[in-house]
Amino acid sequence: MTAAVAETRSARRQQGTASRWLRWAGWVALLASAAFIAWSSWSLWQAWQGSDDAAFAKDRDLVLRTGEQQVAVLNTMDWTRADAGLRQWANVATGPLHDQLQREAPASRQKIVQARRTAVATVDDAAVLSLDTRSGTAQLIATVQIRLTPQGGQTTVQRQRFEAGLSRTPKGWRLKSLTAIPVSVG
Amino acid sequence: MRNVQLLDDLDEVETEPAPRRRGFRFPFRLFGLALVLVLVGGGLFFLRGPVSEDSPAADNRALTDTDATTKAIGDVSNALTRVFTYGPDDTATAERAATESLTGHAAADYQRLFGQVKQQVVAQRLTLKTHVVRAGLISLNGGRAQLLVFLDQVATRASKALGTPAAAQLSVTAELKDGLWRITEIKAR
Repeated sequence: MTAAVAETRSARRQQGTASRWLRWAGWVALLASAAFIAWSSWSLWQAWQGSDDAAFAKDRDLVLRTGEQQVAVLNTMDWTRADAGLRQWANVATGPLHDQLQREAPASRQKIVQARRTAVATVDDAAVLSLDTRSGTAQLIATVQIRLTPQGGQTTVQRQRFEAGLSRTPKGWRLKSLTAIPVSVG
Repeated sequence: MRNVQLLDDLDEVETEPAPRRRGFRFPFRLFGLALVLVLVGGGLFFLRGPVSEDSPAADNRALTDTDATTKAIGDVSNALTRVFTYGPDDTATAERAATESLTGHAAADYQRLFGQVKQQVVAQRLTLKTHVVRAGLISLNGGRAQLLVFLDQVATRASKALGTPAAAQLSVTAELKDGLWRITEIKAR
């Protein structure tokens, strides 16, 4: 074997070692990048889960705010503006509650005017019991303070506790039911 | 003569198999693929961008975390039922429940009030029965919860009804300690 051949062989052996290391480095790089892509996929999935929860939480808060306001409206009435008051009541209701309010409007108007009493309601506290964002329904409880002022008379405070059902309509969440929760006997 | 030698050597070298020459390019294909994966992985982070998960609403886990919601409502409802149910023959159960489930201001207030009531409970044979009619979780942040609870209460004196059954609406604050929700504040509405 001549020196030339030996030199080439040695060069090739060096190339072989370098190439072996390179191959090894290549596999390491591939594994590391596979791990990276696995991690960033998992991270993205987590973010999507979190954003689902965040959307639900926003709905929950919207239902609470809306439900509170509407329960207060349905317990508020100025007898000197009965028609406007009844219109406000109808505006916050939907479904069976809305139908009932429409149906009873003439009789309610008479009762309100005859009573000569103003009612102003504030919700002291409220909580969402359940929320189904898919079907657009929710249940809420609220404790209400109603300040009643008869014409020229003293204001008295009444306390009531309610359970309300809400339904999501194209115009937003509306009350579809409002029930005062009586004390159960025994 | 020398040229012939060189030619022979070249033959020798050339006829050797040269797998290492092909193998020399292969690792670069691996690097290339690795680079593609890194770029895709990095791209996923940009997808993450528009996805919003940070919001104050989301910090409140009420109803979002169904297990925690059920547990908070359950623990607090049990606590209220037990601490506000007692009779002349048994005040110990209520006191024990108070030690377990009340803490902070609620515990201090209860101790003060129950201390006054206890003697009368035995002397006048008073009973109080409480049950939870509705309970809702308003907020759940870490180990702190805010609830609204509706109670019905029936009191008797020597087995005769004391007034009519009463409705109570309570705003309750609770904290999670050792795996149990304990009431720190009760505000009657």
